[in-house]
Amino acid sequence: MRMKELSGLNAILGPGGLTARFQPVIALSPSGPVLHALESLMRGPSGTNLESADVLFEYVRLKHEESTVDRACVQTALQAAARLPAGLRISINVHASTLGRDSDFISFLVRTADENGIPLTQLVIEIVEQKPFWEPSLQDALNRLRQLSVSIALDDVGLGYSNYRMMLDCKPDYFKIDSYVVRGSHDDLYRKAVLCSIAQLAAKFNAQVVAEGVEDAEDLEAVAEAGIGLTQGYYFSKPLTVEEFLASDWAHFSPAPMQPASQISLPAVS
Amino acid sequence: MLVVDDEEPILFAMREYFTTCGYEVDCARELEEAEALISNMEYAMVIADMRLTGIQGAEGLELVAFVRQRCFSARVIIMTAYGTAEAEGEARRLGVDSFLHKPQPLPEVAQIVENLLGSKVCA
Repeated sequence: MRMKELSGLNAILGPGGLTARFQPVIALSPSGPVLHALESLMRGPSGTNLESADVLFEYVRLKHEESTVDRACVQTALQAAARLPAGLRISINVHASTLGRDSDFISFLVRTADENGIPLTQLVIEIVEQKPFWEPSLQDALNRLRQLSVSIALDDVGLGYSNYRMMLDCKPDYFKIDSYVVRGSHDDLYRKAVLCSIAQLAAKFNAQVVAEGVEDAEDLEAVAEAGIGLTQGYYFSKPLTVEEFLASDWAHFSPAPMQPASQISLPAVS
Repeated sequence: MLVVDDEEPILFAMREYFTTCGYEVDCARELEEAEALISNMEYAMVIADMRLTGIQGAEGLELVAFVRQRCFSARVIIMTAYGTAEAEGEARRLGVDSFLHKPQPLPEVAQIVENLLGSKVCA
């Protein structure tokens, strides 16, 4: 049973309405797991229905306030990230509609990153969308992000509107496979087939693949067998506050070398 | 169950009463908040006020339509102090299970809930 004392958009946008957690994205290297990036994950107002990220963002979409709340999330995430060790990639979720319709969003992102001392080369924008959004302005925004050396990730690959069209429109640097595909893949030939298929497709895009929702060693093995090099999930770490991260072993891992999106050359299409 | 009403005292009373009866109760004050919860949870019962914005609204009816799209098996009760035959007819057309006029004693609401869910929880 949950009862809110505060609710609604004012509570989300008010002081302390949003708080950031960071979940490690781990590279599977021959020498062991290496911290590759941190995805910022938002929580809504504490003690309300909107504390849950799923409920929070569904509410925001129903209110058609994606852009306003995406800005607040960027600000919250980057302010928190400023307290993390330098040099870490920081991944932030943004709705495709925000990128396509909020013409000042990228300027806001650049300004906020600068204010918090986060180089743009360390930023990954994860594109999320729960409804169709096919406007040319999205590609213009993505091109501008690439020119700024911000990397692009397509979130929730395998579900909803993270489909082939979004892949073609976004040409992401990262494919993030939804946990629905990943969980239980160790004993499910069909899930394994989907993992392998996405890994092969991503390779053609010269993109890296992140398997989300890895919670046990068996699924981790299935992910590795599919040729997927990056994982995220409770097997390695739950989402952490800045303080929890700084106290964790991950804070002492060197980040993997960064390759800004602008330096990635796409393979020739044969 | 999910209880939706823009008046905090009503939410408080419903939450306390039905929690005591043994139900797990979520509460929402806005249409969108209720819809976001329904999108992420499975509710056996939704009890909603018809007006969630005070004067002219009929968001409770929108919520009935939303529930029927997302969670067909859920039972839905609409409560209102402004019930007209037209509103009740529209609610029935949308698939509401019970249309109640406020004020309604909570034990009577509980009896209707029990009848709809086929359960016997409240003494």
